Amino acid sequence: MDINLIQAQIDTDISNVTSPQSLEELRVKYLGRKGLVAELTGSIPGLPAQERGAFGREVNALKNRLLAIFAEKERSLAGGNQAAANNKIDIGMPGIASNLGSAHPITQIIDEICGIFNRMGFCVVEGPEIETEGNNFTGLNIPLEHPSRDAFDTFYLKGYSKLLLRSHTSPVQVRVMKTHKPPLAIIVPGRVYRPDAVDASHLFMFHQIEGFVVSENIRFSDLKGTLSLFAKSVFGSDIKMRFRPHFFPFTEPSAEVDISCIICKGKGCSVCGRKGWLEILGAGMIHPNVFKYVGYNPQKYTGFAFGMGIERIAMLKYGINDIRLFFENDLRFLNQF
Amino acid sequence: MKVAYNWLKDFLNIRVSPGVLADKLTMAGLEVVSLEETGGDFVFEIEITSNRPDWLSILGVAREISAITGAKLKTPVLKEPKAKAKEPQPIRICIADKKDCSFYSARIIRDVKVGPSPDWLKKRLELLGCRSVNNIVDITNYILFELGHPLHAFDLDLLSGETIVLRRAKSGEKITTLDDQQRVLDQEILIIADKDKPQAIAGVMGAKDSEVTVKTRNILFESAVFDPVLIRRTRQKLGLQSESAYRFERGVNLEAAKLASLAAQELICKLASGRPCAYKSMGIIKPAGPLIKLEVGYVTRILGLNMPGPKIKQILKSLGFALKAAGKNKFLVKIPGFRQDIKSAVDLVEEIARIYGYARIPQTLPAIKPNLDICGKRDIVSRLKNVLVGLGLQEAITYSLIDRELLARSGIKLSNQLVEILNPLSREQEVLRPSLLPSLICCLAYNLDRQQDYVSIFETANVFSGGADCPRESLSLGIALCGTRPLLTGGGLVRDEVSLLHLKGIVDGLFNKLGIPGFDLKAQSAFGLVSIAIKQQEIGFMLDLNKQALDAFGIKNKQVILAEIDLEKMLSHISLDKKFSGIPRYPAVTRDISFIIKDDIPVQEMLTQIEAKGQPLLRSARVVDYYQGKQIPPGFRGLTVSCVYRANDRTLTESELVPLHNSICSLLQERFGIKLR
Repeated sequence: MDINLIQAQIDTDISNVTSPQSLEELRVKYLGRKGLVAELTGSIPGLPAQERGAFGREVNALKNRLLAIFAEKERSLAGGNQAAANNKIDIGMPGIASNLGSAHPITQIIDEICGIFNRMGFCVVEGPEIETEGNNFTGLNIPLEHPSRDAFDTFYLKGYSKLLLRSHTSPVQVRVMKTHKPPLAIIVPGRVYRPDAVDASHLFMFHQIEGFVVSENIRFSDLKGTLSLFAKSVFGSDIKMRFRPHFFPFTEPSAEVDISCIICKGKGCSVCGRKGWLEILGAGMIHPNVFKYVGYNPQKYTGFAFGMGIERIAMLKYGINDIRLFFENDLRFLNQF
Repeated sequence: MKVAYNWLKDFLNIRVSPGVLADKLTMAGLEVVSLEETGGDFVFEIEITSNRPDWLSILGVAREISAITGAKLKTPVLKEPKAKAKEPQPIRICIADKKDCSFYSARIIRDVKVGPSPDWLKKRLELLGCRSVNNIVDITNYILFELGHPLHAFDLDLLSGETIVLRRAKSGEKITTLDDQQRVLDQEILIIADKDKPQAIAGVMGAKDSEVTVKTRNILFESAVFDPVLIRRTRQKLGLQSESAYRFERGVNLEAAKLASLAAQELICKLASGRPCAYKSMGIIKPAGPLIKLEVGYVTRILGLNMPGPKIKQILKSLGFALKAAGKNKFLVKIPGFRQDIKSAVDLVEEIARIYGYARIPQTLPAIKPNLDICGKRDIVSRLKNVLVGLGLQEAITYSLIDRELLARSGIKLSNQLVEILNPLSREQEVLRPSLLPSLICCLAYNLDRQQDYVSIFETANVFSGGADCPRESLSLGIALCGTRPLLTGGGLVRDEVSLLHLKGIVDGLFNKLGIPGFDLKAQSAFGLVSIAIKQQEIGFMLDLNKQALDAFGIKNKQVILAEIDLEKMLSHISLDKKFSGIPRYPAVTRDISFIIKDDIPVQEMLTQIEAKGQPLLRSARVVDYYQGKQIPPGFRGLTVSCVYRANDRTLTESELVPLHNSICSLLQERFGIKLR
């Protein structure tokens, strides 16, 4: 058979093939040891020397084309089979993988908040939970015998005078400033303790995040900008924020910060007590007395600080109505996060 | 603190509605928590911060409204009446220690007609939640609310002697206060006494014995300035709160003390037709009003807002400060007596910002220079948590304070002293936990009670132990597993009851991911206790909880597997440096050996010997399957050990592999008495 004939016939032959078996028969016919191509190759030595090269190239081209055709057909046949095999899997059956656990919602919120401040250039620092009166109160401009201390009822340790469980994360401000020089941009997550009677919104242990920035030119406007960016990152870009004057011994000027209620968008509902606003954190410019205590020059440095309760943020964000759920560790609760 | 709208109007013209006023007050720092319309008036409930005792009065709030709205404040001006009736009985005041009481004044008013108060007075007090008693008592309360200064009236005829003595109580001295409670006093409590006995606990509450009643004809009333700390201690010690103590504790001032005394006298004359007869005072006459220097540039520097000098001046004046120019863009600010909270320039900046409005301060972002040298453990602990979560564990957070009894119940032995809480509110807050495990066991039990079949949790938190000088706290990791894990595989469901090996798998995976190259597990003599060590340093343990403890926690028919690891120790072995080693160029050959072995022969020892024997071509020997059951005689187990051989410079040939592998098989047969399967 000559090359042109074979070229013409293969197309018809291949289109009639419907099974792997008939494809294999066809392959033997064309490409087998005694097949048509082999026959052509075998005829080469009988040709005049000057024709051999050109003829050989043509045979090779034919062989390559045939190989491609067979491969293509094989793929299309196999494709059909693959589909048939797939049909045997009921995709409605459960997927197979080992179960994942999850981080506690409090951890997730802390990670989210630390992440936001990390991106702004803050570093995460943690401090001990057992603190001195000096770091927890005096250093923060909280006199030991003043009504401003009433907001910080405190657990004391038996047998160690002046040691207590920190009632806020602010003592870490004092610790960091005592050992490091400005500029500072620090974020401090951690457990804090207050002897409060337990109910749906109070516990004797909870989590706070403290943040502070100290440098030569830090202003109240920087505090506003930073916290506004934070609130939008956590609660969405349409959130509104307001700063109300307040009193904290360790900041001056001080502010309480509200966000527009995330439930009613500021219209007033039961969550925000019909006010349209939710208090989420306390903040202010670090009091010069705190700088004096840690040995900074209050003429040279200014700074801001802020603090918030993590449980409060988590409750608002996830719609949780009882703070005790966080520490019951019911898997039906934890699994949701 | 409650404030009535109409009462405020005595002091200034308010041109805004109560609702708008409430908002303005809130945004100026006087947070209005409720506004109620009642009896033709509006009552604002305001949360007053502890630094502003001057706001604990109608006048103080009115002054604030004047600053916010610009309405002029009508300040009461009262003068001592010139003519006084002759007083037959002169009064003397004796203050034992001026530190306890810097100012004391007493006024005698005779021939008062004690009776009910007029309706307007009753109504005003009632709106503020104060019960009407009689006109004299009501007047002292009225002045307290209006001017913020507490007064106390005694029945003069029930006081013995001519001297009012301010002294510390004697230890064990008794007084029956107006609330009919007998109270035992001590030397830390300041009292107001007559010749014989205490007639009032200074600044807190008067005595029943000298109470003003309908029978009273002549009164003596005091207006004083007591030491705030002393009043605070007394109030705390006696557990006795009063409107008086609340204000004294926060600080009162001399001007108000004098003004209140005069205002009360005027009202008593008017409403109870009394005759002022004597006035005596002792202590400071005139307070030194401090002067504070304020630079305009400082205001700008703190707030990030250009505030012109005249605006600063206007705001501070509206709040009652007096200003004097002290050079270009500088002021000398005189602080009035009612603003004892203002101690430095930054306090004035807050006043300016408050009245100007925090909302009008712009938003900017600080130029932050990150401090890369400060870095805590949090990143690495986060990584640890991620690995455990990936291994299917749920993170728990439990209280650091626990009931001491919980420790005993868990049977976990501790060598260190406990750190105890001095003032727990309940038994659940008695001690700082020395271990995370008791809390985690509770957490398992809690979930098992709620129909969970499988619980696997972990917690990272500090644990505490006592020390001679100071207690120690260190970060710890606790893991707790319990129950039967349902494992869905391609071949269907496998129920997998947790054991120490599951925990080992978790610890293995964790250490591996954290770059801790190797660790040793050693079974301890105590049943089910396995120590975990890295480079000979013990860092924690694994534990199969015993029956007794399981019973104590009410856990039935289940095993509880625990681990606690000292993270501080563990972190010191972490190495996150990674080094690439080349991918092998020549293929490995794997040969499995399946055999039966006595089940008291430890696998670890066998593997160690295999590895020694297989050098240099044996790359690893691992147990890949094990079986106990039907085809295995009792006392034995079936094992499959997979040996992987490889050379770095050539493909291994059968002829070099077979003798080596056979020598390993012989070793197993000779040393460990295995039977090949």
